[in-house]
Amino acid sequence: MHLDYRLNEDRETDWSSVTEEDLRYRVALGNLIFHIGDKDFSADWDWIPLVDLAASFAEIIRKLEGGSSSEIFEFTESDAWVRFQRKGDKVLVSTSYGEGVAEIALHSASAAVKSFRERLRSELDRKHPQAAHNAAVRKLLGAG
Amino acid sequence: MNPRLIAALILSFGLLLTAAPATGYAQVETSADQVILTHSRLQHIIERHWSDSTATGAGKFQAGITVDSLRDMINEAVRNGRARHNTHGRPGTLYEYDFQRQIGTTIDGGPATRLRVVVSNRNEVITAFPF
Repeated sequence: MHLDYRLNEDRETDWSSVTEEDLRYRVALGNLIFHIGDKDFSADWDWIPLVDLAASFAEIIRKLEGGSSSEIFEFTESDAWVRFQRKGDKVLVSTSYGEGVAEIALHSASAAVKSFRERLRSELDRKHPQAAHNAAVRKLLGAG
Repeated sequence: MNPRLIAALILSFGLLLTAAPATGYAQVETSADQVILTHSRLQHIIERHWSDSTATGAGKFQAGITVDSLRDMINEAVRNGRARHNTHGRPGTLYEYDFQRQIGTTIDGGPATRLRVVVSNRNEVITAFPF
């Protein structure tokens, strides 16, 4: 599973004052790069709020690990979605915008999401040092 | 100047005149509650979901829809639509309403008849788009 992102350039955001709502809908926008095997579920729409995606995917993994059989991630500006269905220790992944169903071990999905979250937090901290001290960023991406 | 920016400024000015000039907010009356469409959120909807927006992967409103008709649709969706909690820890409420007529296009370019409105816990519209 290759889970990655491309973060848009942003020189306007005041990272000391961004709120959770900003992070969920308005800032740290970019593209999702998402491959499982030969399935490509990437979304190069430029407007995906990446902190929201990282936090939501982490929440979905937590729910799957807690026994949930199915969780859906809904994109913020369309009805597009990514579905995660647990089958034993595997997760079946499908989307509304890409073809096919991919399968991955739950522990691999968990590791990929954790890595995604950590890389995004590191990049934001590096590019926007004030983000490291923002409570909403720390809430959604972890304290580091 | 960018024609879309000019249109957005004109539409925003129109909203100021017809809404609440003292606060800069347009309040959408509902039977149970009110939601507020701020100028920045209106700008967001215009930039991402207006018929001439170049944003990909986002539902688009039909050409000819105005700020007033958008406000009416938001009002109707919040008043009569299906409400559900926002997902996976996102704050706010989602309202979805099927207008039984085309109001825009889906991300695939097909006809969209439904509107989703995302409303914050402060009753402010965060975004709204056809699907």
